[in-house]
Amino acid sequence: MNNHSAQKLAGKIAVVTGGSSGIGLATAKRFLEEGAHVVITGRREAELKEAAATLKGNVTTVVGDVSRLEDLDRLFAVVKEKHGHIDVLFANAGAGTVAPLEAATEAHFDQTFDVNVKGTFFTVQKALPLLRDGGSIIVTSSVTNVLGTAGFSAYGASKAAVRNFVRAWTMELKDRQIRVNCISPGPTETGALQKTAGLTADQAKEAAAQYALQIPMGRWGKPEEIAAAVVFLASEESSFITGIDLPVDGGLAQV
Amino acid sequence: MNRLTGKTAVITGGATGIGLAAAKRFIQEGAFVFIYGRRQEALDAAVAELGPKARAITGSVSDEADLDRLYVAVKAERGTLDILFANAGTGSPLKLGEITAAHIDETFETNVKGTIFTVQKALPLMGEGGSIILTGSSAGTTGAPGFTAYSASKAAVRNFARTWAEDLKGTGIRVNVLSPGATATELAKAALGEEGQKSYGAMTPLLRMAEPSEIAAAAVFLASSDSSFMTASELAVDGGLAQL
Repeated sequence: MNNHSAQKLAGKIAVVTGGSSGIGLATAKRFLEEGAHVVITGRREAELKEAAATLKGNVTTVVGDVSRLEDLDRLFAVVKEKHGHIDVLFANAGAGTVAPLEAATEAHFDQTFDVNVKGTFFTVQKALPLLRDGGSIIVTSSVTNVLGTAGFSAYGASKAAVRNFVRAWTMELKDRQIRVNCISPGPTETGALQKTAGLTADQAKEAAAQYALQIPMGRWGKPEEIAAAVVFLASEESSFITGIDLPVDGGLAQV
Repeated sequence: MNRLTGKTAVITGGATGIGLAAAKRFIQEGAFVFIYGRRQEALDAAVAELGPKARAITGSVSDEADLDRLYVAVKAERGTLDILFANAGTGSPLKLGEITAAHIDETFETNVKGTIFTVQKALPLMGEGGSIILTGSSAGTTGAPGFTAYSASKAAVRNFARTWAEDLKGTGIRVNVLSPGATATELAKAALGEEGQKSYGAMTPLLRMAEPSEIAAAAVFLASSDSSFMTASELAVDGGLAQL
């Protein structure tokens, strides 16, 4: 009757950068449930191993920083040796700290662009030799790519940059039938707010509740909800979709 | 599979093309589907193909009494409605300089007014977890020669989702737009011919037209809980046509 198997990524090889927590980890979990073999990366070994221990299935971990080209070379050497190719690349690793324009330092700017812009650029470039024709690349952007958010000027600009990468790469990779899309999460319950803004747990809770009032859905997203959308972009279900920015933001940047 | 188990769906413009392809996928995913359209013959053929989990209601989206009959039938058999795919649309080209009032009225009557009342009249049957999908078009964000009225009507539909996401705040009902690019429906294939299909396909980065089943797959995503944190958005299924 149909060819929509229960598992949407059966036998596929997927690489997830920034896979030790939040959206990356939730996506790795969904990829595994959909039948994929998954390689996750992260900068901190202890956290990465801890994350991998929560996953069931064919998981490989590679410690590394996407802003360091030699780390990326090592990552893809491991992928090549273990799996030989890549079907799905989720270039998700990102960084961001809050800094008002007048107080932002050069280090803040460089770190944001090194990880989000340069890191994404070279993650995709270095994956290309292993990517199968007809594969899917998903890049994590953010609703801040179109919003003005006080304190997030470097972050928002870096995420606008990666949204545009997707446009150019759609054209550059079209002859290989590789689809390239980005996903733009809105506020997501990853715990990152507390970390990046240096808030106490109570302050973070209060800020989150305030922010939720601005979201048409009236709440924050869950990492699992972003992961479900990434599975859609990774799978054949999105076979005619390329070059888009998929907002998974409860309507925040849409109204 | 079975991402829509037990759900009830209405698909307007459901007898052919994208609407029919979506009806097939919704049923494969476990839903019960009402298809709505103007032509009895086409509806009968569709229901024969779709099987026992499909019903057909004849009517026009630009006739309020017809829409009332549709929702009375849904309420009588299923009680509530989970998924509304407001997909009925019409469009023909007329260049600036040749546009008539009748051409504008006909286009806006179906695509704009028809979409408003299709959704408004469905609301009493919908609740928490409901999903409304509006069919937009890549024409809504691009300049398509000759398509003044059609493109403007689809831009209007895209904006409905923004306003309605706010109007529906607190109800748990999501509303999103699905915007196909050039799609190889039977109607489009007949209208374009082999050469036309090739030249339309060549405009997209994926170098081909979409199959209706590919638009249907995206409709399943928006209908299901896989898109549970999405509202007011526009999902372009256009092979990259309007994205670059």
